[in-house]
Amino acid sequence: MLELDGLVRHYGDVVALDDLSFTVPPGQVFGFLGPNGAGKTTAMRAVFGLVALQGGHVRWKGERVGASQRRHFGYMPEERGLYPGMVVADQIEYLARLHGVAPVRARGAALEWLERLGVGDRATSKVEALSLGNQQRVQLAAALVHEPELVVLDEPLSGLDPVGVDAVSGVLEEQAAAGRGVLFSSHQLDLVEDLCQSVAIIDRGRLVASGTVEELTTGGRRRLVVKVGGDWAGAWARQVPGVTVSRVDGGAVRLVLDESTDPQAVLAAAMAAGSVEQFGFERRRLSEVFREAVA
Amino acid sequence: MTYAALALIAVLVGVRVWRRRRRGGGGPDAAGRPDAAGRRDATGGRHGPVLGRVLGAVDTLGGDVGLVARREVRERVRGRTFRVGTLVILAAVAAAVAIPVLRRGGHSVERVGVVGTLSAPLRASVEAIGPALGTKVALVDEPSPAAARRALGAGHLAVVVVDARSLLVDQALSPDDSSTTGLLVRAISATVSLQGGLEAVGIPPQDAARLAHPPPLAVRSLHPANHNQTARTTALYGLILTYVLLTQYGTWLVMGVVEEKSSRVAEVLLSTLRPGQLLAGKVIGIGTVAMLQAALIVGVALGLGGAIGSDLVHGTAPLAVVASLVWVVLGYAFYCWVYAAGGSLADRQEQVQSLAFPLQLPILFGYIVSLTALGTGTPSALVKVLAYVPLTAPFAMPVLYGLGDATWWQFGLSCVITVAAIAGVARLAAAVYKRAILHTGGRLHLRDVVGAEALSGTA
Repeated sequence: MLELDGLVRHYGDVVALDDLSFTVPPGQVFGFLGPNGAGKTTAMRAVFGLVALQGGHVRWKGERVGASQRRHFGYMPEERGLYPGMVVADQIEYLARLHGVAPVRARGAALEWLERLGVGDRATSKVEALSLGNQQRVQLAAALVHEPELVVLDEPLSGLDPVGVDAVSGVLEEQAAAGRGVLFSSHQLDLVEDLCQSVAIIDRGRLVASGTVEELTTGGRRRLVVKVGGDWAGAWARQVPGVTVSRVDGGAVRLVLDESTDPQAVLAAAMAAGSVEQFGFERRRLSEVFREAVA
Repeated sequence: MTYAALALIAVLVGVRVWRRRRRGGGGPDAAGRPDAAGRRDATGGRHGPVLGRVLGAVDTLGGDVGLVARREVRERVRGRTFRVGTLVILAAVAAAVAIPVLRRGGHSVERVGVVGTLSAPLRASVEAIGPALGTKVALVDEPSPAAARRALGAGHLAVVVVDARSLLVDQALSPDDSSTTGLLVRAISATVSLQGGLEAVGIPPQDAARLAHPPPLAVRSLHPANHNQTARTTALYGLILTYVLLTQYGTWLVMGVVEEKSSRVAEVLLSTLRPGQLLAGKVIGIGTVAMLQAALIVGVALGLGGAIGSDLVHGTAPLAVVASLVWVVLGYAFYCWVYAAGGSLADRQEQVQSLAFPLQLPILFGYIVSLTALGTGTPSALVKVLAYVPLTAPFAMPVLYGLGDATWWQFGLSCVITVAAIAGVARLAAAVYKRAILHTGGRLHLRDVVGAEALSGTA
């Protein structure tokens, strides 16, 4: 389990991390969300000691993270980092060895991961000869080649085509299924919603929401979708007390209920207005949760 | 120039043959894929035995620093720039060693035309001038002044002696002409004039010859000769080599550090390495390649010198070679930290030039001052001081030693001062590097990192 505990970092007047705390459990794909400049990258870099913290600690399995723990972490930074003129397989082998993989295993592991991420045929090319998408796959191979216990990925999905997104998503799910910790940041909220079991949302260096995707999208005020035949504008709903109409879409009215409002009363009002063609509870989208959290 | 070109061609042909033989020799393929049994040899399976041993030795440095150093060695040696650069330096060194020997052994002949009579003793005296000028004089009798003019015009003769009374040359000589022909003409003029004049006043030709060429007086001295010419020449070559190598290795370091910083690979590396390990590995790796190259160059120079009988391997010259080599090592050990820290301040490859230039200034200063001292043969007080300043000692001290103006203990003292300075500069460089290597968003200046709050670094 990775714990970020009260992390603080200021750059002059700019607050990058403001007492940030959350926990990444193993065996889950954990999404790390926040608007641009919220402090996601700073927090991820702090896990690897790349940022001098002014307060707080990072712990792994209850112990303060140091060089020996980091050897078992994998990192994919936001600004990709590979030697442009170095042969792809050599580079992955080198990084594997820096993470303590035995010399006899390192080459094989490098070639295996390149193959798995669909760039096996480019193993003997120089990095600079690869497309950006393929460089990104190589970068992911670099983060995973040593079978890390925790992998931290800063925007691993940006710039990938749909096939690449599927490949990377599949790898992240496999890692989590193998009991490893997977922390990744992304702005593609629909993808995050499908891929992650839990998320943490930060804004201006502070945690503003966290929990399982299930909790976050089902929590808060209840939502209903109701469609009454013949009433395309959803005029009936505006007469019902204790509800707010959030959207009307082809006669289907999306309603947000006040705490005290009884759904049965809403159903009764709908039936009184006409023939009810659709009635059901609706989950919030993660993007809505995000917007509310950082508003 | 011809010799230099021939030496270059010979080296290039040699390398091509060597590479072809190597390619036909089997073993793991160029891409480094494993052999049929799926194993790779201990050195990575892609290097010759010598490089393999060097990489093995670098590996024993231990852990992560050894791994970083090993990557530096492998990537550097594989690069075309390194191979071509080494060949060019080797060719230049081979030419510098071979040309003086070839010129000395080539014994040019100066053909001197004779019109009219020239007595036998005078002929002997003119011929005797040759060896003193490092050449050979051949007398050619010309049937007429017109024939002599034609031969002179066609370049077959250097000078014509006309009736033992005047000399004829193709082109008028300037008073300060120090070419062999110029010196020969002046020597013939003096000899024939004096000896002919003595004969003209009735002194027998044999006596006239003796009077014109008295035996030299013995010269005794209070102290032995101060300047050993060959050691001085060696010191000159050593000085040039030190300058070329230090600037080259410094540029490698700056570019290597900037590459890691600008490509952001430093962030990936530092997620598992400490900045000090990355810096030390880089400095050791590039240093290993640099010392290999320097040893190769000196080895070729000494080997070639021994084979063709160059002065380079005689007398005190080998000591001067060793002195130069010691200072190449110490110079690298000092400047490598300066260059690596300098490189970490840059943000992009384009900044390498503007960064490397100020770093080269002390090198350039030490080089020029020392070169001037070698030229004059008497080191100034400035050079004697600079020989103990670590920034300039790699140039000034070997020159001082080559000129015989430094004893072994002075040499040793300067080494000790430089080693102490290296320890200090390494600490400072590591501190700058640690703060600057992960900084992004424009070039940093030294004042931004020295004494400033850590912008980034290990927590």
